[in-house]
Amino acid sequence: MITITINGKEIKLEKPVTVLEAARANGIKIPALCAHEQLEKYGGCRLCLVEVEKMPRLQTSCTLTVADGMVIKTESENITKARRGVLEFLLINHPLDCPVCDKAGECELQDLVSKYGASAGRFKEEKRKTPESHEDRILARNMERCILCTRCVRMCKDVQGASALTIVERGGKSRMEPFSRESFNCEYCGNCHTVCPVGAILARPNIHNYRPWQIDREVETVCPYCGVGCSFILQVRDESIKRTIPKLGLGLNNGLLCSRGRWGYDFANNPERLKYPLIRKNGKLEQSSWDEALGLIVNKLQTIKNTQGGKAIAGIASPRCTNEDNYVFQKFLRTACQTNNIDSVSRLGFASAQRYFEDILGQGITANMIAGLKNSDVIIVLGGDPTAVNPILGLSVRAAARNGAKIVVIGNAKGLERFKTLKVTPPVFKEADVLEAVLSEIAKVKGPRGEKPAIDKRINELAGKYRTPEISGFNELKELLLSGKSVSIVLGTDIVQRTNGHKALFAVAGITYLLEARLYLLSERANEQGLIDMGCLPDALPGGRPLNINDFRKRFETSWGSSIPSDNGLTLMEIVDASRDKKIKALYVMGENPAFNIPNNPYVKEALSALEFLVVQDIFLTETAEIAHVVLPALSWSEKDGTYTNLERRIQRLRKAVNAPSGMEDWKIISEVSNRMGCKMQYRGTEEIIDEIADISPLYKGLTYDEITKGNCLWPYKGEPLRGVISEIPAAPEKSDDYKGDFYLVPEKLLFHSGTLSRRSSSLNRICPEPSLKIGEGHAQRLGLKDGDNVKIHASDGNLSIKISTDRYIKDNLVFISNNFEGRGVFSLLRYSLDPVTKAPGLEGCEIKIEKA
Amino acid sequence: MLSETVLKEIEEIKAKYPSARSALLPALYVAQREFGWQSEKAMQAVAQALNLPEAEVRGTATFYSMYKHKPMGRHLIQLCTNVSCMILGAERLVDFLKNRYGLTQNGTTADGRFSLVIMECIGGCDMAPAMLLNTDFYGDLTEEKIGEILGGYK
Repeated sequence: MITITINGKEIKLEKPVTVLEAARANGIKIPALCAHEQLEKYGGCRLCLVEVEKMPRLQTSCTLTVADGMVIKTESENITKARRGVLEFLLINHPLDCPVCDKAGECELQDLVSKYGASAGRFKEEKRKTPESHEDRILARNMERCILCTRCVRMCKDVQGASALTIVERGGKSRMEPFSRESFNCEYCGNCHTVCPVGAILARPNIHNYRPWQIDREVETVCPYCGVGCSFILQVRDESIKRTIPKLGLGLNNGLLCSRGRWGYDFANNPERLKYPLIRKNGKLEQSSWDEALGLIVNKLQTIKNTQGGKAIAGIASPRCTNEDNYVFQKFLRTACQTNNIDSVSRLGFASAQRYFEDILGQGITANMIAGLKNSDVIIVLGGDPTAVNPILGLSVRAAARNGAKIVVIGNAKGLERFKTLKVTPPVFKEADVLEAVLSEIAKVKGPRGEKPAIDKRINELAGKYRTPEISGFNELKELLLSGKSVSIVLGTDIVQRTNGHKALFAVAGITYLLEARLYLLSERANEQGLIDMGCLPDALPGGRPLNINDFRKRFETSWGSSIPSDNGLTLMEIVDASRDKKIKALYVMGENPAFNIPNNPYVKEALSALEFLVVQDIFLTETAEIAHVVLPALSWSEKDGTYTNLERRIQRLRKAVNAPSGMEDWKIISEVSNRMGCKMQYRGTEEIIDEIADISPLYKGLTYDEITKGNCLWPYKGEPLRGVISEIPAAPEKSDDYKGDFYLVPEKLLFHSGTLSRRSSSLNRICPEPSLKIGEGHAQRLGLKDGDNVKIHASDGNLSIKISTDRYIKDNLVFISNNFEGRGVFSLLRYSLDPVTKAPGLEGCEIKIEKA
Repeated sequence: MLSETVLKEIEEIKAKYPSARSALLPALYVAQREFGWQSEKAMQAVAQALNLPEAEVRGTATFYSMYKHKPMGRHLIQLCTNVSCMILGAERLVDFLKNRYGLTQNGTTADGRFSLVIMECIGGCDMAPAMLLNTDFYGDLTEEKIGEILGGYK
């Protein structure tokens, strides 16, 4: 125990922290411009000077570690004089242009200068002149205001790991610059902007747009983009979102954001939002009243149910909608429509993998805290780049690397190239073979564990069959995994999207099992886990309860006061097939754009066009809405209350920040339809829906709205998870193809876009305005192409003109296009065949030819 | 970008240090030799060879004034005009270079043969006035002598 005295107050400390930290922890304010809670100590600004007894000079409290018996004064005439002097130096070049500076009102320097009164400087020399740089797409740089605290540089290098910023030159010429001098060309997380104490780094969307004190309200909520579920504060003025602000100590992102969270909110302000219901009349969508639209839906669904049975109806739920929306949606389909044909685009990856792992390893296997990644000593990353799919989780992987963890990348993960220990490139689409070999090698040392006999049995079967792949790094990979004491596996969805994806998934499950590893599933959308847990699956009820077990189903039937069909429904791809075959007549789509977000767009569109009745609830007129019979305007995430469940299975509160001019909550629309169909849903608010869920599902037994609001809702929510695992690992016939083509097209997950929402964000479009074909630099050179060239690509049935972006880290002959841009998404070219076990679409083998345009 | 041989040279430098970052300064010299100066391409090549962030390479390269920060002549004259050299007539040498070759501080001859950098002390006070020509040291300079020496660098 260390005892110190600050300003006459005795303070006891467990650990030797700095004087600044000790003071702040005890509510004593010391000014500091370079010190920041998230950054290493620096000692650059000299403002945190304090008096320490028996020390001859004033000391910088941010670098001074406490010692037992220290007596410290943080305010005195001497200190005030010194701070005023330091500020006078800082203002030698600072322009004091507060009236035109957007930081005014929340500027740390401004506050200090007005407190210590150093604005009247004695320097006669001219101030340094540098014009404000607006060369970058989204960040403005004003080097006159910069006080060289280097918070931005340290944030970018030590926390974000992008290292895009630096101080160039030295002495009086020093200034902060990105490598290109002008454009930042970085990950655009904007965390440099967050930590800048002055107005030197500004967000261009907000320049001269409003003042911090003109905000109508600030509302704490959760990001709508990926499955990490970062918390931030929405600043609202005139019913329009002005900014998203992360805050230290708030949520699992603790003061950090990624590019989507930082800039992507403006889709909600987009003037193209749907404003009123639409009904197709004479082939055209025309404005209608809510009453007419709802009446038509009820009429059509009733007729189809009565004539063809519930099996002719299907629903597509949304990982962008809240738990409440999704719960009500599946309840509506199961009761009012009498169908279990419920699935979502999460089937393309997350849901397929998540369900597979839970089936064989037990419920909750993927519910691991992101913060735990930092404590791992070995992290295996495969099937995607966490720094692009789930950027804040990606930061934890980078942080682990800095703490000395060994990062093993299987496949491509550009964001980890400077952090990895080992990268293994499997032959294209043969990840499963490599993983099975790794598993078998590990089993030689660690297996069998005996805890889960089905897994041990399958591992044993594999042992006789696998072949050591001829790829470089295989032995190191094996050794690294075996050396780990605390292993984490970060799994992206790329390897799920294979016709034999279940083989790779089993290998990952086996490795997880043998190494007792923590498993993290990358999740591209905000509420993928929630949608699964709410029962938006063809084979499970809320809480993951299997539909075909009578006891479980009965319980729900009693509570809901309606029968539920006992057969499992169709999965997403099967719904599409059945629509085309006219077995499904009506499809209800909530907050999803299947015509664009499901591979083989032409086929999906054809299938959806064959429907007798298609209802879409959305906030924009999407590709799917365009071919619907009825379109209903819903609300954006910022306009409603509710909850999201993130990939750690943390349940978090969404709070309404903006009053929408039109539209209705998804759950409200569904309840209304359900009521009109005779299945009563009388919820007055989301709280009542949560109460019902807690009441009905043993998993959520301990769940209350208050607990969620407080932010402590972690797995398993004081409830009862399912205990069982399946006794036989599902298998499918082996299928082996050779991939000897020049190039194979696969989907890319962009850092700057997500699904089809982000294409309505003007800021994200400014950062990343058009799609590109990503290709290994060596391959491009071989084709006589360079970065930015336009090419035409030919797939088996389809062409696309696109520019290329070269990537020197890609060594295999995979080429990547994202699925975000209208008319130019990768899913328009990719065809699929189903993985017979997970029912995820296998996207491998799309051979393409590239020619210079 | 850098040739295989040069990359190998950087690899050898890297092997002398515990981390790639430590090899940055010598690697920058290698790149400067290849590209002529610390151009954007040179710094990118070094960043790539050492797997370091480009911004960090630029920050380091621009911190040190002894790297060439703009295109320069084939031969670099670094002439000292500090106290000892100045007393013994370095200023006359500066005039000589200006009149004979048209060289001024940080300038380059029209034919791209020489560049001049006027230096602070180069530790040759015992042989003042002194200069460095590329990496060769010359002392006890006079106008005739400097003309003769420069003649040897084509």
